[in-house]
Parts: sequence; C-alpha cells; structure tokens
Amino acid sequence: MILYDYILSASCYQVRLMAALLGQPLTTRAVNFHPAKEHKSPEMLKLNPKGTLPVLQDGDLVLTESAEILRYLTRDTPDWRGQDEVWLSFAAALNGSIGTARLHDILSYDADIDAVRRAGVQHLRQLEAHLVEQRFDGMIFLTGHTPTIADIACFPTTALAPDGGVSLDVYPSIRLWMRAIRSLPGFIEMPGIHRLHELEAAP
Amino acid sequence: MGRLDFARCALLECVLRERGAVDWIAVGLSVDVPAGTVVPRRVNDTDMAIWCSAAGKLHAWGDRCPHRGMRLSHGFVRGETLSCIYHGWQYGMDGTCSYIPAHPQLEPPKTICARSYACNEQDQMIWVALAPTQAKTPDAEGRRPVRSLEITLPVAKVAEGLGHPMSSLMVLGGVYDLAVALQPSTQHSCVLHAFAGADQERKQVSRHLEKMRAELESADA
Ligand SMILES: N[C@@H](CCC(=O)N[C@@H](CS)C(=O)NCC(=O)O)C(=O)O
Ligand code: FES
Repeated sequence: MILYDYILSASCYQVRLMAALLGQPLTTRAVNFHPAKEHKSPEMLKLNPKGTLPVLQDGDLVLTESAEILRYLTRDTPDWRGQDEVWLSFAAALNGSIGTARLHDILSYDADIDAVRRAGVQHLRQLEAHLVEQRFDGMIFLTGHTPTIADIACFPTTALAPDGGVSLDVYPSIRLWMRAIRSLPGFIEMPGIHRLHELEAAP
Repeated sequence: MGRLDFARCALLECVLRERGAVDWIAVGLSVDVPAGTVVPRRVNDTDMAIWCSAAGKLHAWGDRCPHRGMRLSHGFVRGETLSCIYHGWQYGMDGTCSYIPAHPQLEPPKTICARSYACNEQDQMIWVALAPTQAKTPDAEGRRPVRSLEITLPVAKVAEGLGHPMSSLMVLGGVYDLAVALQPSTQHSCVLHAFAGADQERKQVSRHLEKMRAELESADA
C-alpha cells in the first residue's frame, strides 16, 4: 500500500495515523506539495485528476478521499466502525473552516480568514457540545467507548486549529478527547501534534 | 515576577474590589482537569496553568516557565510535579524548580519558582483568587456542575444580559435551578461555568445553556 503523502497535511496524517493504530504497513511517497506543487504534476494528475492529497494506491485500486481511505483501511476491523458517516462529513466541514484557516496562515492560501475562523469556532462549539453529552454517558469518543474512523477523521484538523489562529483552550471536552486519542497504543505524531510525554519513562 | 506585573496585579485587585468584589473566580470543573493533566486558563487577562497532580492536588500557576517563558500549560504532569515541555525543567508542589535535566547533578536554587495563585476545589468546581483573600469559596448549595462555555462577550455584558449583579456565583434559579460563575477571560470574552439542580438531566441543561449563549451573543450583535 502506497500513500502519496505530505507531512504537513492534516488529511494525509489521518491516513498515516489510522494505519499506525491498526498496525498496517504503509509505504509513504513524499510529494512536494509546497512550494513545488508536485500534487499538480502530470504524473500525480494521472493518478488523481483532482490534484489533491492524500492518494492511496493498493495494487490497481486508487483512492483519493481521506474518508474513503479510512473506510478502506478498516474494512476488516468492525471495531473501528460506528455511526461514522455524519462525522466524516463533519470532518470535511472542519477541513473547510479550520483547515483553510491553517493553510492560509502557514502556506499563504487565499481565504476570507475572518469568515473561516468564525465558521471554525462554530464547528468547535458543535464538537464540544457533542463530546460534553458523550461524557455525561461515560464515553470519551465521538461514537462510543472506543475510537472509530469518526475520531480519526476529525482529530487532525481539530488538533491543528491553533496553527490557523483558532484557540482550543476553551473546549475542555475536546481537549480530553484529543488526549484520549493521543493515549492510544500505536499513536504517531505529526508536526504540531505531539505525543503524551508523561506516558514515557522519566529521563 | 517583574515589578510591573506586580503593580498590575495590585491595580487589578483594586478594580475588582470596586466592581463588587469577586474574590474567587471559577476556572473550570474538576472533572475537566483530571489527575495528571494541565490546562491553560486566561483569568482577567492573566494566563494560568491549572494542573492536577497524580495524587489529585490542584494548583494554579502563572503560565510562564521561569526558565525561558514557555507556557507551562503546554507541559506535562508526572507524579506530583509539572514539567515544562521546552527544556524539561521540573517544578514541585511549592512551585520551585526541583530538577533540570541538562544539569542532573545540580540542586536548583529555590529562587527559581513559578508564580502561584490560591486555588481551591469546592462543589467539584475549581476556584482561583488573583490576590490573597480571606473570603470563603462560594457554596453551590447542593447543585452540581454541568459544564463550561466560552461566551464572546465581556463579562459585564453577560452579567447584564443575565440581569444579575456580578458576584462569584450568581443564582439564576429557573426550571433547571441554575447557578453560574463567570470567569472574565479577555476584554472581549468570558467563560460561563454552570451548576444545576442535582437531579436535573445534564444533557437538557447543556442544550439550554447553548441556547442561552446564542441569545446573549445575538442580543449584542
Ligand atoms: N477531499 C480531500 C481533501 C484533502 C485536502 O484538503 N487536501 C489538500 C492538502 S491538505 C489538497 O490536496 N489541496 C490541494 C488542492 O485542493 O488543490 C480529502 O479529505 O481527502
Ligand atoms: S522554558 Fe521551560 S524549561 Fe526552558
């Protein structure tokens, strides 16, 4: 399985994280997204005419949407599936608000920055309200007691919100949810999302 | 802490007293800062790191590492100490630095010390005081905490919108038997920490609070 990958992409990290949590081997091919725009190169466009990342290739199969890729990776692990669909759409919405604010701030993407940040805050409020209710029922993940692809889809963009100038300080349940994800066995980091140092032996 | 910070704190204290004495400020529910975690809170423009040790002891410290000023709330809790994420300096319960990883043999001088604030837990809510106070932490009279919500309005506007004079804990009553504590955050925002009657359905209360926030914010827009 080959992932055409960009290290700073939250959507590519969804795929790397999911594979790591499942213990599935994944070969990554680094695509020079910025500044070379290699995702728009003729070779990449042949693979994915939309010219976006991530792209997952497994034999003849080519998948170009992170949600599809998450479903594909978990096709044999029902534990990782739940009432996910609404959250996969929500993850796409987060990518449009907070994700866009982040690309604006770190890669100078064009955006109405105030509007996307405002939309981002509304999305975070929705997420917080849902997680508050989950916690009342003794659950920390989006759809139950254990994580599913819903969590993995929503986690990266949410955790990187501060890169786009949107603070996470005022969402206690989102913070505890992110902590639960970072505590999962097999968790891997990306720039801006670090592991829990306290889980390691003291120096 | 610099002289200027000190003068600013003293001034702030005066201002707060004139406004109607808010000695204790709620900064969050105890369940939202479980043992072994640290969270950032902005209290009246003062950045704090609130942390709970493995044994469950709560602390409110200034959110600046005495070493190079990194936010301590980005750090991590190990046992009864808080470590800075940057160079790993470790601080014990009294705020003094107990260990510097780059100099393992060195016993750090007691003068290396995080700024600490009074911090109490009552009714499963965490309360801090920006200045020393004799006042008792407010009593929620059997209500239980529900949740915290940020409101993008200055605290005075929210108190006005709720039709209550500002105090540490404002009893609103109503069907959910609400009591709310407002945490002034920045000049433009505050956090509302809500209690409700002990037998209230918390999901209902949470949804009611969402509506309340929407109304407060749109009334001002
Ligand atoms: N539909 C995609 C969206 C991912 C996405 O936004 N990818 C960005 C990189 S993080 C991208 O490729 N942008 C290039 C473009 O849209 O031209 C998915 O979630 O898989
Ligand atoms: S800034 Fe905290 S240890 Fe260096």
